[in-house]
Amino acid sequence: MSATFWAWFGIAIYIAVGLAIAVMARRRLGVGVSEFFLANRKLGGFVSSLTYSATTYSAFMMIGLAGLTYFSGVGALGFELTYLCGMFMMVFFLPRFWLVGKKYGYISPMELLSDRYQSRWVGATAAILALVFLVPYSAAQLMGVGFLMNGISGGAIPVVVGIIIAALCAIAWSNIAGMRSVAWTDAFQALIMIATSAAILGVVVAGLGGFGSFFSKLEQASPGLLTVPTAKGAFKLNMFIGLALPWLFFLISNPQVSQRLFIPKSVTAMKQMLGGFLIFGFIYTMISVLWGFSATLLVPGVGNADKVTPALLASSTIPTGLAIVVMIGITAAAISTIDSILLTLSSVWARDIHKGLINPRVSEKREVRVGQWVIPIMTIIAFFFAWWAAEQPGHLFEFTIAPLSAAASAGLLMAVPAIFGAFFWKRATAMGAIVSCIVGAIVVLLLQILSYPQVLGWKPLGWWPGTWGFIVCVILFIGVSLATKPPKKKAEEFIGYLKGKLAEGNFI
Amino acid sequence: MSKTGWAWTWFGFLLALDIAIPWFVLTHVEKMSGAFLFWTVWVVVAIISAFVIFLRWKEVRR
Repeated sequence: MSATFWAWFGIAIYIAVGLAIAVMARRRLGVGVSEFFLANRKLGGFVSSLTYSATTYSAFMMIGLAGLTYFSGVGALGFELTYLCGMFMMVFFLPRFWLVGKKYGYISPMELLSDRYQSRWVGATAAILALVFLVPYSAAQLMGVGFLMNGISGGAIPVVVGIIIAALCAIAWSNIAGMRSVAWTDAFQALIMIATSAAILGVVVAGLGGFGSFFSKLEQASPGLLTVPTAKGAFKLNMFIGLALPWLFFLISNPQVSQRLFIPKSVTAMKQMLGGFLIFGFIYTMISVLWGFSATLLVPGVGNADKVTPALLASSTIPTGLAIVVMIGITAAAISTIDSILLTLSSVWARDIHKGLINPRVSEKREVRVGQWVIPIMTIIAFFFAWWAAEQPGHLFEFTIAPLSAAASAGLLMAVPAIFGAFFWKRATAMGAIVSCIVGAIVVLLLQILSYPQVLGWKPLGWWPGTWGFIVCVILFIGVSLATKPPKKKAEEFIGYLKGKLAEGNFI
Repeated sequence: MSKTGWAWTWFGFLLALDIAIPWFVLTHVEKMSGAFLFWTVWVVVAIISAFVIFLRWKEVRR
């Protein structure tokens, strides 16, 4: 039987198991907003750790990061590990988010901002930022699945069909039981991701004669890829900072991950979540980068970064059965990220836009219903974006998964000063948060558009849009906050509460 | 300096190394024992640092 048949068979099994898990999760589903969007803040450490891992790590890793490594070398490892080093900041933010989430009953990170700054417009601004910038990030995941299925099947499965399959799974798994179905399917998918990627790397490295021989061949064949900048000039410092800066603050800038800081049921579960994630992240990053390096030896001459992994999987080096299993693993990585994004965006819309601005008296039941309607709408928008981006000419680096994901995170980065201010600066104000988010996001969007080769191909002084946006955003946040009146009473209460609890739990 | 201050300082130091070593010390080392090995060891140190801090956390009263 053909590879296409087995690809369809594998996809069918994966969807069936995922659906079964989601339906099982629904049996535990209670009522209310906290139940639907946060699993009632009662998830254990193991599931919390796996859902955090699966949400964070997406098609970006085995496709985008591997492609980036293939073309731009070891800097890709540094960029991704800088994100993981940034997770050190979890020792500050995880207990803080978790404590105030429990005390004040926050559903979304935006609601936290609205309450702390005593302005619903702060939450609404951050919500719109997320709604705008998470579209290209979700689209990048959909594209990853589309390219992968297309590559494995030798073109028999069109890219758009892969995109549709991923979109439908994400809608189903986020809608069936909210956070419970997302977290349970994420846990299942995280295990698939790590097991399949480790297995395929093992096969490839064995085929290259073991790690010693692999590294030796790599040093001989592509020594220029092992330095920063590379011999061809990739990963100069401005490129590295442009990619790494938004990633460094990913843990608080991306609401689909920061919302997960509300869900562990206890301090022990929090510790398991963080420890489990750090180990998972290290292993998965090393696998993805080594996979990209192995492709430079096994499938040289691929023209598009996003097609490196599909090309290697379709090569004679990889047994067809294993290639299909890995395709399922990468599909799992993509879908587990999209469904988490969709659920978070639905909670953000329902809580921070609908309840915050449109109908403050909305019932919890209606709020959940509004959120459920947002899921397919956001998916359709992401679908059209992915379809359009996937049709762009192959040489356009900006429309490949890595830069598209980094561009999205650059926009979300603009909420970071406001989040820092909420926890660490009593003088921070609502106006400072709003102005810095809006102006920073406009700067990022404008510079992003101007940076495209078809427009001007212009990066001021060679620095990336996110870097400029962040500088403007920090200056505005501090300047406007100092010039306006802070919510003194709330700031004292919020930070004062944290001070006492942080000492009690031996947090820092 | 408070424990929080020390932790932020340590994190800043790690980030300074992230740039300084690969771009200014290892920039001509075209081997796996160059930037690749540095970043691998560097992030393991960062992860261990996080473990050292969060393993001391204890349950709080609701």
